[in-house]
Amino acid sequence: MSTQTKPYDSIPQAAVLLLPTAVVLVAFLYYPGLETFRLSLYETLFLGQQTNWVGLGNFAELATSSAYHNSFLITVLFAAIVVVGTLSLSLVISYMLFHVEVGSSTYLVAAIWPYALPPAVAAILLNFLLHPNLGIFTHYLELLTPFTLDWFNSGPQAFGVVAVVAIWKQLGYNIIFLVAALNNVPESLRETARIDGVGHLRLLYKVYIPLVSPTLVFLAVMNTIYSFFSTFPLVDLMTSGGPSDATNFLIFKLYRDAFEFSSLGLASAESVVLFVLVAILMYGQIRLSDEYAQYGV
Amino acid sequence: MGTKTQQTTVADAVETRLPGNLTMHAGLVGAIALMSAPLVLALVMSTQTTTEVYQVTNLGIGSQGLSNYQTALTEYGFANYMLNSLVMSVVIVVGKVTLSLLAALALVYYDFPFQRGVFMFVLLTLLLPVPVRIVPLFQLMADLGWTNTLLALTGPYIASATAVFLFRQHFMSIPSSLVEAARLDGVGPLTFLVKVLIPMSRGMIAGVAVITFIYAWNQFLWPLVAVTDKSSQVVQVGIRYIQGSAQAGLTRWGLIMAGAVLALLPPLLVLIALHRPLLETFAIQQK
Repeated sequence: MSTQTKPYDSIPQAAVLLLPTAVVLVAFLYYPGLETFRLSLYETLFLGQQTNWVGLGNFAELATSSAYHNSFLITVLFAAIVVVGTLSLSLVISYMLFHVEVGSSTYLVAAIWPYALPPAVAAILLNFLLHPNLGIFTHYLELLTPFTLDWFNSGPQAFGVVAVVAIWKQLGYNIIFLVAALNNVPESLRETARIDGVGHLRLLYKVYIPLVSPTLVFLAVMNTIYSFFSTFPLVDLMTSGGPSDATNFLIFKLYRDAFEFSSLGLASAESVVLFVLVAILMYGQIRLSDEYAQYGV
Repeated sequence: MGTKTQQTTVADAVETRLPGNLTMHAGLVGAIALMSAPLVLALVMSTQTTTEVYQVTNLGIGSQGLSNYQTALTEYGFANYMLNSLVMSVVIVVGKVTLSLLAALALVYYDFPFQRGVFMFVLLTLLLPVPVRIVPLFQLMADLGWTNTLLALTGPYIASATAVFLFRQHFMSIPSSLVEAARLDGVGPLTFLVKVLIPMSRGMIAGVAVITFIYAWNQFLWPLVAVTDKSSQVVQVGIRYIQGSAQAGLTRWGLIMAGAVLALLPPLLVLIALHRPLLETFAIQQK
């Protein structure tokens, strides 16, 4: 980073310029963030009418609750499936885009459009198209495979359907970054990679994946955070956490505990757990990108 | 191991026998068709009557024309939801861009103590997405009396670590000779911002605006929690209402699809129109 010349030195002026941002961040981010930690040490009784200090009681309750264990495990499993599914599909699509070198425009926009797709819309479209009785996708799926789609009643199937929608919605974002990363591969390396008789799949696997690995790490972290938080509309509109808690992910359980059962203390403790998970992920990403920077990738 | 290398060579042989580009184009068209199929089908079904929808494989344009859209907009309040979403998204975009430009101006062009600390203070908020602070944020809105207002929908979103970071990066890459010239002329900071920095950051501002608009328009969880009054609700939650209320007797899926298409069009059109600045901004964010 080159040091910029600083033409201005009035401290009051700088303070005034920073004030609006600082006020919003303190009022709506830092204060509620710290308040979450404080609330997590209390229990709420009688629909929020009374609060009692319970220390780490809420965390003890989470640690021993089988419902919370289930929610935690399926959330981690779901994130793993979404990360792997999204990255593999978007790698293949991005490689094809990179290979035909259309630059930007039609192909690229047609491939990244799910970035603009609202999760709530994604959920409602596939609610209909995969409807067990009415869905046109269901109709042809059952015609062509021995499979019977009954995801209103089958937990594993509901989990799978929500995962498919989550991956579909996240493809656009991943393709944006991967196409950019592939285009950043130096021309000289691309030339060497064009060895006669080596298929594209091997080329992708042996040459390009190692070269874009910093972007893959970044996307893996982003997709994990997305799976934790942004899938709320999918669960809310498609499965309501069911059948039998098969899709009751952490974010959905948190929403219910807070706004349906008014257990504000317990819900705050769940928020603290999510905060720790995000902090670990972000820290890991920073450490890894520092490592890549050292090796000059 | 032996079989594996054999398999790959067979695959390689098949691949090289076909002209590479043809395979690639076919693969791309197939992938894009799959990704876009739900959208195309939704457009078709949104023109069908309930009877036509219940004939599962009927893929013709329905006899409803655009009347499902009219019903969604008028009887189901979508005109109002769309307007609420638009106002909320525009306020968030304008607020976020303005506040972040001012903050970046101070961080890059002012000499004041603890600059790194101030910047870290802004960046650390990345650790606090809405779900991590949703309960106290909801209580705060109730205490301020902001529940069901535009203030509740926009306030928590108008300051942004990402936007400050991007504008700061961009300002730092502007050649210092320009800044020197400004200093020698004795130009004030706001004039410098409006006359020099903003014209030089057009692409970046457009990129941040597009990303922010799409992000704001697509919000679901926070509006669901912060707004309980239907008349102030945004279109994403409107989808939840229409799905719930159209299910009396035979579900009116054509109507629900029309609502879904309405809720999707604005961000989709913004993406198509402004994909260039968006792609450039993301490319910078990665570096």
